[in-house]
Amino acid sequence: MKFRGGYSIAMAGCPAAEVEVAAMPRRLLLPLRTPTLYFSQLHVTDGQHVARGQVLARDAALHGVPLLAPCSGMVEIEALPGHLVLTSLHRCGIDDRHGLASDEPALAVDEPLHISREYGSSGMLRYKLLSLGAWQYMRDSLSGLVAAPFDVPQAVIVSVLNTEPFVARGDVQLSVDTPLAAKPGGVHHNMLTHFTRGLEHLQSLLEYQPIYLVLPKGSSQLGEQVREAVRGYAFIKTVEIPQKYPLDNFAVLARALGLKLRGQAAVWGLRTEGVLAVDRALTVAQPVDRRLVAIGGPAVLEPRHVSLLPGYPLRELLKGRVDESRGPVRIISGGLLTGRAVGQWPLQGQDSEVGLDSETSGLTLVYEQKEREFLSFMRPGGDRRSYSRCFLSALRRPPPEGLTTGLRGERRACVTCGYCEELCPSGLMPHMIHKLLFQQELEEAARLRLDLCISCGLCSYVCPSKIELAEEFRRAREAFEEEQRAEQELKAGEAAE
Amino acid sequence: MKMLKRSLEMVRPQFEKGGLLHKAYPLFEATENFFFGPSSRAAVAPFARDPLDLKRLMSMVIVALLPVVALAVYFFGLRVLAVILVSYAVGGVVEVVFAILRKEEINEGFLVTGLLFPLILPPGLPLWMVAVGVAFGVLVGKELFGGTGRNVFNPALVGRIFLALSYPAAMARDSWIKPAAEFPGRLLEYASVQTVDAVTSATPLGAARQGEMADLWSLLWGNVAGSIGETSALAIIAGGLLLIISRVASWRIVVGVLGSFLATEALLYMALGQSIPGPAWQLMAGGILFGAFFMATDPVTSPATSGGKWAYAVIIGVSTVLIRHLTGYVEGVMFAILLGNIAAPLLDAMALNLRLRRLANEG
Repeated sequence: MKFRGGYSIAMAGCPAAEVEVAAMPRRLLLPLRTPTLYFSQLHVTDGQHVARGQVLARDAALHGVPLLAPCSGMVEIEALPGHLVLTSLHRCGIDDRHGLASDEPALAVDEPLHISREYGSSGMLRYKLLSLGAWQYMRDSLSGLVAAPFDVPQAVIVSVLNTEPFVARGDVQLSVDTPLAAKPGGVHHNMLTHFTRGLEHLQSLLEYQPIYLVLPKGSSQLGEQVREAVRGYAFIKTVEIPQKYPLDNFAVLARALGLKLRGQAAVWGLRTEGVLAVDRALTVAQPVDRRLVAIGGPAVLEPRHVSLLPGYPLRELLKGRVDESRGPVRIISGGLLTGRAVGQWPLQGQDSEVGLDSETSGLTLVYEQKEREFLSFMRPGGDRRSYSRCFLSALRRPPPEGLTTGLRGERRACVTCGYCEELCPSGLMPHMIHKLLFQQELEEAARLRLDLCISCGLCSYVCPSKIELAEEFRRAREAFEEEQRAEQELKAGEAAE
Repeated sequence: MKMLKRSLEMVRPQFEKGGLLHKAYPLFEATENFFFGPSSRAAVAPFARDPLDLKRLMSMVIVALLPVVALAVYFFGLRVLAVILVSYAVGGVVEVVFAILRKEEINEGFLVTGLLFPLILPPGLPLWMVAVGVAFGVLVGKELFGGTGRNVFNPALVGRIFLALSYPAAMARDSWIKPAAEFPGRLLEYASVQTVDAVTSATPLGAARQGEMADLWSLLWGNVAGSIGETSALAIIAGGLLLIISRVASWRIVVGVLGSFLATEALLYMALGQSIPGPAWQLMAGGILFGAFFMATDPVTSPATSGGKWAYAVIIGVSTVLIRHLTGYVEGVMFAILLGNIAAPLLDAMALNLRLRRLANEG
């Protein structure tokens, strides 16, 4: 496999492998919008009591992906804008350290006849995954959205890597011995069994399509144990990749594997938590309620992984975890490069009441830039980690840097230094696309394969002229797609006449 | 430092909207940002950024040029500093005026141009010519194209070519100064054409045409006549390597220029039956090293694609040799780089089409 570009940002505050179980909150705030889903269709009424695993709402536009109740309780619809609030929570499973599977009854999933008739047994399994909230993890590698459940993919990519700083890592997910209890010190045998059984279930959804299992290159405990566990599984093809951001991106992996994404059957992508969710849904018919969330970044006091229920209130979760000594802290849901800012600590006003959505796998906390450093550009920079070797840090490897939200320079015209091109994992030339977009040449920019951009953000990160390349490209891609859609509609309209 | 901050805050209202000096705001902004790193924050993802900015990038070039400047002062005297000062002052004024006219920030690019330009001039050149040259170079070579990042030609080269065509005698014959031979050099001497005992001595390349060969060690150390910054191969290589190691300059261009230069020289050397100096001597003499490390690698005026960079480098390397041996000029780097600048957009377009053909089969 051949990869282009990629770069690992050394940021302080890497979450430790230990897992902490978050205390049961008083209420859960379930956001109706996640980065890729919008649960627009409500299935509950205000004041209704719901059971664990009950459908609260669905994303009507995206295969009816459900929002499940992580816990039994009472629904409040109007209590918080953009959220469903769950109160009077039943203390489900929190003190239960012996695993949920054996103690709790399997959820009955109705079996619609037309699905089994149309798609057979594999269709029924997929329907079960969708109903139990496990399908949410299955992603189309081209769009990054939830995959169409009843499609036939050309391949499935399973990755145990998560290279972005900081989101929950695969090795940590496999090191907890139940979804509840923490057990540092390597991959847990129990979890590995769940993982391999998940892979078997995955195979039963497919006909002959290959499953690529992505492992870290070089010797690592995770790699070795997983490799050992899947030995003899003929349907799994293991591939090893360097642990460099964002080479674990499904679109990048698909291209490196030589899979065509455009105009062909979809390539599905699934990470560790997804495989575990599949196992849980199909082995014990349980919904996935708990999530493992990495809390990391320079502004976190004790960076670690936390096991919690979706809808966990952000304020309660972060209380006592944020280093407040250096002023306000930016809270990023997701990783540093592709996450979105959800507020500033201390939380105030509108941001103060938000819940973690069911897609969050990491919170990254970074200090807000405040001070203006005296003669900043002349400093030797022994602690500044840079892709270029323009700082003293090039001579000695300093510890990961305590990054802030600062741009660290003034915005300037592009000087074609070429760093963006060197880091681009899609093999694009961001500087050229930028110049074309600057001249409003959308068509020309599209000819330079703007569509291959995966929005990894490395070009913006490294640009010495501080140009917002990734943001610019995202907007241009949207504009171009919009244009094409309008064109197609026009053509369709003409054809109809 | 606190005092500086306070005084900046004190004069700030004068430069802001409604203030007396509002038009000169870019000047205030540049001063402030020079002393204090910016406080702007990343509003969109990624939420942190690499520490490198354009100021640092340009500073690296200046640091890399320090050995060259130091040896130039040693060989040619304190007047070198005066030449640099004039170049910075006049170039700076042009840059500031244009920043004000365009209502843009003052760009760091002129810090590099202002230093590169004097280093490619003969040491005895009258100061007013330095001023005219740098003004022309910055104005026509850069500002008229829209400023740093948008220029097609290397502004320092544009200025030098303007001078070479306008004042050929002063640029070629009358302004060479014989370098100091013994320690402590001319470190305490303001050596101008009027004061130095040995006013003119031909550059090694010129002398070689008359059959006089400077020895290789002098070329390496730099005690030969020539442009201010081009004589010491040692200092140029030291600074140049810093640029390559720090990823500021493209190694492809340097390797391409020097490699193709050496290959062509070697071919010619053998073809002409060894009647000309050999490739190693040619490499050390004249401006090829300085051109390859500091002028050709200007990221703005060189191609952006790596394929384009190789082709551009070969054009420069080969045409330098051809101009040196087959035309009336003894030195050809200047024109060769200009030729490369002209070809750069075309080379980029060609390399781009190749790249797109490769990408077309993907994704």
